[in-house]
Amino acid sequence: MQKIPITLAAPGMVLAKDVKNSDDPSSMTLCGKGVTLTESLIGRLRQKDIQSVTVEGHPVHEEGEATLEEMLAALDLRFSRVADDELMKKIKALYRDQIQRSMGETGGR
Amino acid sequence: MEDKRSEIRRLIRDIKSLPTLPGIIVKLGSLAENDKVSSQEMARVVSADQVLSAKVLRLVNSAFYGFPGRVSTVSNALILLGVNVVKSLAITSSIFEIMEKNVVGLWEHSMGVAVAANTLSKTLKLPDAEETATAALLHDIGKVIIKLKLQEDYDELTTIMREKECTMLEAERELLETDHAEIGGWLIQSWLLPEKLIEPVACHHQIEKSSVHQVKTAVVHIADALVKASGFGFSGDPFVPPIHPAAWKKLGLTEALLATVIEDLEGKLVEVKNFSLEIQSNDDPAT
Repeated sequence: MQKIPITLAAPGMVLAKDVKNSDDPSSMTLCGKGVTLTESLIGRLRQKDIQSVTVEGHPVHEEGEATLEEMLAALDLRFSRVADDELMKKIKALYRDQIQRSMGETGGR
Repeated sequence: MEDKRSEIRRLIRDIKSLPTLPGIIVKLGSLAENDKVSSQEMARVVSADQVLSAKVLRLVNSAFYGFPGRVSTVSNALILLGVNVVKSLAITSSIFEIMEKNVVGLWEHSMGVAVAANTLSKTLKLPDAEETATAALLHDIGKVIIKLKLQEDYDELTTIMREKECTMLEAERELLETDHAEIGGWLIQSWLLPEKLIEPVACHHQIEKSSVHQVKTAVVHIADALVKASGFGFSGDPFVPPIHPAAWKKLGLTEALLATVIEDLEGKLVEVKNFSLEIQSNDDPAT
């Protein structure tokens, strides 16, 4: 999944997370996950002053954006000094999963 | 002969009045010590300084504290966040004014760690999440001081890091006989901020040194590692510091809990980045 500014949201993208009225988890859900965005829906979210949405896959590619391989190599470098630490190995695995998900690599979609 | 550590400590004592630190901080400090002063009166002091209150509100309404766009007055900010947080924000916004332009990477790292500390505290249902986030915002303030006040040493640190391929922390300990955490602790102590903000700053690389505020210290320690793990911002070197098992245990963290924190945090870091870009573009025309 990928979090994108609302200005880059386009019809056909599928919400990967609920869109909430505010950051507060208990606040009202404006639009549930799994919903496919349409022109009018995006317009209404913008009217509600929603700044960003999280969508499935990795639909927006910014220029100069790192590839998955580059991101994983950078992760290796960042963890290179704690490579033998058991706890840090687990944390690195969590980050590797996170990177792969953000690039739309896993999740069977 | 004075050793390097004592020399730096003396230097910190003497720069109590950083050129950027407005007199209003001293005023707020004395007000905060007096229990009889209401938050209304304190709000008046902050509000009297237009620039300062604008900055405080900008920070309060950012992603740090979870009230985006909902705090419109200084008085509200004081009630929601407490005096210590508002006072620290006033200091932070003055200090970071230099950082925003000179060391954007460190500013982004510090904001990221503040958001991470807040997210961790809320997930673990710890008290005083806002104060912990504020300590996190200040945790690398020692690095700013090294860069601003010990410029020759700072250049040498860069050389040592390159030659020995070590972390900034290791280079600091070798060259300065102290490190940015201890220096930061001295500095904010000289600003009369409370112990609960000093300890997490001073001990964020040596949590075993923390005696009273171990939970807050553990949160900042882990938040720092998480932000470095995600590669957000730049704090001097790219290396993730090891998380002390005692900190992990102290907070009762599990992999599953951390996984939710990481996912939550990655989303928020996008907002921090936007906030940072927005600040930079807003500040440009003024210069």
